[in-house]
Amino acid sequence: MKTRLRVNGEEREVDAPRGATLLSVLRDDLGLTGTRFGCGAGQCGACYVLADGRAVASCLLTLDQAQAMEITTIEGLAAKGTLSPVQEAFAAEDAMQCGYCTGGMIVSATALLARDPHPSDQAIRDALAGNLCRCGVYVRAIRAVKRAAEGGR
Amino acid sequence: MSGWGERAPERVEERIRVQPDGTITALSGKVEFGQGIRTAFAQLVADEMGVPIERVRVVLGDTAQVPWDIGTFGSRSVAQEAPALRRAAAYARELIAKGKAVEGVVPDDVPLRPRSEWRYVGTPTRRLEAGDIVRGSAAYVADLRVANMAHAAVVRPPVRGAKAGRVDDRAARAMRGVLAIVRDGDLVAVVAEREDQARAAADAVEVEWATTAPRTMERLVIPMRDDGGVDEALAAAARTLSASFSLPPISNAPIGPSAAVADVGDDSATIFAGTQRPFGLREQIARAVGLEETRVRVIAAMPSGTYGRNSTGDAAVEAALISKRAGRPIHLQWSRAEEFALAPARPEAYMEVAAALDAAGRITAWRYDEHTNAHSGAGLDPRVLPMTSGRNAIPHYRLGRARVTLHVEPTPLRTASFRSLAAAENIFAIESFMDELAHLATREPLAFRLAHVEDERLRRVYERVAANAAWGRRVGEGRGLGIAGTIYHGTYVAEVAEVEVDASGRVRLVRAWAAIDPGLTLNPDGVRNQTEGGIQQSASWTLYEALRHRDGRVVNAGWDTYPIATFRDAPEAIEVDVMGDASQPSTGVGEPGAVCISAAIGNAVFAARGVRVRDLPMTPERVRA
Repeated sequence: MKTRLRVNGEEREVDAPRGATLLSVLRDDLGLTGTRFGCGAGQCGACYVLADGRAVASCLLTLDQAQAMEITTIEGLAAKGTLSPVQEAFAAEDAMQCGYCTGGMIVSATALLARDPHPSDQAIRDALAGNLCRCGVYVRAIRAVKRAAEGGR
Repeated sequence: MSGWGERAPERVEERIRVQPDGTITALSGKVEFGQGIRTAFAQLVADEMGVPIERVRVVLGDTAQVPWDIGTFGSRSVAQEAPALRRAAAYARELIAKGKAVEGVVPDDVPLRPRSEWRYVGTPTRRLEAGDIVRGSAAYVADLRVANMAHAAVVRPPVRGAKAGRVDDRAARAMRGVLAIVRDGDLVAVVAEREDQARAAADAVEVEWATTAPRTMERLVIPMRDDGGVDEALAAAARTLSASFSLPPISNAPIGPSAAVADVGDDSATIFAGTQRPFGLREQIARAVGLEETRVRVIAAMPSGTYGRNSTGDAAVEAALISKRAGRPIHLQWSRAEEFALAPARPEAYMEVAAALDAAGRITAWRYDEHTNAHSGAGLDPRVLPMTSGRNAIPHYRLGRARVTLHVEPTPLRTASFRSLAAAENIFAIESFMDELAHLATREPLAFRLAHVEDERLRRVYERVAANAAWGRRVGEGRGLGIAGTIYHGTYVAEVAEVEVDASGRVRLVRAWAAIDPGLTLNPDGVRNQTEGGIQQSASWTLYEALRHRDGRVVNAGWDTYPIATFRDAPEAIEVDVMGDASQPSTGVGEPGAVCISAAIGNAVFAARGVRVRDLPMTPERVRA
């Protein structure tokens, strides 16, 4: 059963059960493995994607639900290969260790800055509260989001 | 297979290869899981060979390419590997300069480049993986895909170690996408086209499990130091103090649960795994699938950060067995619940401490009994236990007469390595108790410590962190400062915590400071990042975490029941002062940052509220009490 899906600005056709999670479709059918499995329950943020501009857990969305949405994954944020300001800021601040959760954090921060270009410290913490990091780079990540908001300075 | 400590002479071509296009390949059996060693190794090879860092490619943990290695743990990678890689790179440069081929035994006395010619070592260097990580193109174990691969899920018994009896897989076989149900001894698994199909079918397989009675477990008592006359000195002393401290088991809790990709054929096998011991895992898999070790290739792929958990190869061995039975490549992804329930945990610990003070406020006697379980894959070997379960149990202070005893008391909970092994537990007890003794002696806590410090490098990190944190300043209502320090595998570290305790007893880490001396420092920003992360992770252990288990079964196996620190709990800043003594050998930084902050937080809570919390985690109920 073929389903059409808009991912990273492209129309894709997917041959997967309609009840499959968007996460599994991205990873196993479209080869977009930058969106990662962490818990399957929407509790860790590793699988966040932008769905119509909002950061959502792709492990909780079905393919059926996602087909009506514009989906952007971490791979879709670097337009024509140039890092987005948030990606650049995370790299510049070395706001990562193992990097497993980094994509999800960048997705949350991108959604935040789109609706609040100059967020307070507390707004950053609230917007990224769903992104767990076990290596403990929270302080650096907050700095990276501020750096991105300030235009990379 | 080499054993502990025995090594053939280093050959340069095992370490350094020059490609036709001028790229340098540096090879090491260590593995990367977020601690930044790929970058540190590239820095020193680039400097020793006098080439731009972009020309250095570092290959880690592929058993088909790299020299044998015992494993990556104990913050030893830089300390062990830096000298070997540096000598090999220096020798390669010498051979190239003479127009010779890059091969042969590396002479011990190969001349090294002077520090003045280094361009990268000692300079903050961006992680080599950073670009791929922020783009989402970095490939972790779970991201690897090979041709003809299927997905697997394991049918789990109610209790670990149960024996599989009759298997009824009729319902599962009829399910969508199911390709095979395989069995290898007590391992029963479903192979399916899609991962969710494999998992759904695994839930539908009925297995008659026979649980075995828990075996009675051996208890060990290991003397670690005994100066004699300790009990007498305590009995005769004018002032004594005793206290006990407890820490619950905690989970490694990686954000990415274990995963592996295995392709096991009749005469060879390739396994992609998150492992800290690629060669140990190769041996284990060769035995499990019945192949010669040389026919098995283990490639250590990037896992989610795992802090010790990948010293065991659970998912990789399961994937290999399933692949062998299914006759095709297998992708195995553990669920979140499997990771919490089955991964080895840091065991619980219970410490009893007693000490005596003389009239001048000096410690004259010290008695310390640590009760815990195995902390590493080395298990219950009494020669190894003092270095694992007993790590940092002997304080780095002048103590008078001391007796330190390790009691290893196994429980049914599966335990193994976790960042710093028992050091974080012992330093929580020791450094909390030092604070209590300081108050008994009516001495200021830092001054009391310094009066007992013998080592000048330890004194320096204490003095530096105190200066940076403006130790002794007045803090606001409900706030307090606490200090703690130690020496961990040759790395000197001292930390200060500023906490705020609200009326409900909730503790917030407001700010933290660390001063760390890891000897010659390769990448100062790498040291800062590791130390910050150690503090953040250990603050989470201290304030929130406890793995609950009954009869060997983990009760809380999800993020909802095992919460860890989130962005909302992060301190306002973590200020790390890297003060490496460049005249001293490089020591590790992956673990030391995590060792002291529990006690620093506890001491700060006492300073804020006058409440001494001796049991972790420091929940509001305990802080209010």
